[in-house]
Amino acid sequence: MSLTQAVTRRGGSGTPRLRSLRRPQPRRIAPYVFVAPFLLLFVAFGVYPMLFALRLSFTNWHGGADAQWIGLDNYVYLLQNPLFWQSLGNSAVLWLLVVPAQLALGLVTAVALDNAKMRGRGFFRVALLIPYVTPVVAMAQVWIIAFDRDYGVVNAALGVLGLPDIGWLTTTTWAKPTIALLFFWKTTGFVIIIMLSGLQSIPHELYEAAALDGAGRTRQLVQMTVPLMARTVMFIVVVQTLGIFQMFAEPFVVTEGGPYSSTTTAGLYLYKHIQVSDLGTGAANSFLLVVILVAMSVATVRLVRPRD
Amino acid sequence: MANDTLLAPTARPALAPRRRRRTTSVDRAPSWLTWAFVAALTVAFLVPVLWAVLSAFKPAGQIVSQPLSFDLSQATTENFAKMFRDVPIWTGFGNTAIVLVVKGGLTMFFAPLAGYAFAKYEFPGKNFLFGAVLATLMLPIVVLIIPLLLEMKILGWVNTYWGLILPGAIDAFAIFWMRQTIAAVPDELLDAARIDGCGEFGIFWRIVVPVIRPGLAGLAVLTTMNIYNDFVWPVIVTSSERMQTLQVVLSSLAANITGQTITADFATVWGELLAASAVAMVPLLIAFLVLQKHFVNGILAGSVKG
Repeated sequence: MSLTQAVTRRGGSGTPRLRSLRRPQPRRIAPYVFVAPFLLLFVAFGVYPMLFALRLSFTNWHGGADAQWIGLDNYVYLLQNPLFWQSLGNSAVLWLLVVPAQLALGLVTAVALDNAKMRGRGFFRVALLIPYVTPVVAMAQVWIIAFDRDYGVVNAALGVLGLPDIGWLTTTTWAKPTIALLFFWKTTGFVIIIMLSGLQSIPHELYEAAALDGAGRTRQLVQMTVPLMARTVMFIVVVQTLGIFQMFAEPFVVTEGGPYSSTTTAGLYLYKHIQVSDLGTGAANSFLLVVILVAMSVATVRLVRPRD
Repeated sequence: MANDTLLAPTARPALAPRRRRRTTSVDRAPSWLTWAFVAALTVAFLVPVLWAVLSAFKPAGQIVSQPLSFDLSQATTENFAKMFRDVPIWTGFGNTAIVLVVKGGLTMFFAPLAGYAFAKYEFPGKNFLFGAVLATLMLPIVVLIIPLLLEMKILGWVNTYWGLILPGAIDAFAIFWMRQTIAAVPDELLDAARIDGCGEFGIFWRIVVPVIRPGLAGLAVLTTMNIYNDFVWPVIVTSSERMQTLQVVLSSLAANITGQTITADFATVWGELLAASAVAMVPLLIAFLVLQKHFVNGILAGSVKG
């Protein structure tokens, strides 16, 4: 019925192609209309601020009316500033504390959960993801309380074991591992789920063939699974690297970057410029950080696919 | 011994408890050691949440004096009562709800629409525009924070819903994901609708949307989680208590403890903090447990990002 209507409306000329020739406008304009809302926001809150920040990074603007063009001074200042390097160093240490352990734990757990005979795998999969959906600010507060030197539950538990109190959040030695643990706790479930989906994309026949060839489970894991997971691992490393270097909420809430800037991550250091209205330097810092992050991401991808 | 366990092949015969069913292990069931390892990890992951929620029901003094013990007979809701009195948590919930509905709504409507354009139309500039989407995906948020904040100041949008909602409202990742999803919708379906006289938007609304509903459900939960937990932007664009989202309200509470502004006694503040944290976690945890399948789909789809 409706088909007939459409045909008659077209003046009886029959084929669908003719129709699109006759009324080409909607179909040609539609995609632009559909994309327009995104584009509008992208230009207003993406392109424009980017260009603005680039210009800002060459000035000494502090938010008043007295901005002066100072060329590369902000960049030079940052590259000579020990705090800038310390913020990168702190993030690098956090990375080392989190990512290797996460990859190892994630792989072992994902392999176990991939086994259809694993009892309670459905439950484990859900339970392990709970930290990932927990608001980071709420957990950061729990960390403050649990890792308190004098009244925290962690030191209380250590006391039961006869171990001395540790200043988890108040000493430069322990503050980084404590922040790293929060990030580790929060994101390992994500790593496991991604690894699990990576494992499930490996054809089962490969394992059967390997088993027929007499490869044991350990050998299968080392010689087949790990190489086949290279892309998945690469993805995880890139995501976690971006996350760790931009890490903000955890140190902001738990330690405010202290003690003695030992937990001031690259992301939090950026915020410190905003706090003192040193906006030109902050903008320059953003761009330096982006260059570093992009370089690290590209290097990770290259490392996994050297022949590209 | 082809079926040696992954972790400690030699430990198995000595340590395996007798009550365990000794399967023929032809199908390579995981060893009890693997199982115990995963179970231990799971317990370790759940303990912080459980400890926090349970402790919130303890008398405030005991949180400090006996952090390890739980006495159900003394369970109390006084921490919650005090917290609701002292902390503007309902304001936080209210603001988060408004941002969630409007910002989430914008993404849920416009991201599939743009994804549809990229998946099913050929038009000049398409590749360039899609490149813009991908660029947004790869751009670390940190570059934008300072200039965006300045832009908000110029527009007078600091401490407004405009400032909270509009930047990043139509999530680039959502567009990318929806493009992948919609590309799988058969063209014949769309052509048939077009022949039936369906308009371009009508095709999207009446054909595409119903077909991709499972993907939309995944997108909805992922968007909800991201907006609910978002902290970096809200904390930067809101300074007035009236406009703060739930996470920002929570974070300034924590600052009261680590900073010098402790007015109440230690134990009371901790009790309120734990109560506030528990209240903030619960809605999302319930949503997660109810909709976990969609959550996992959403998170997995997120992994296409790379």
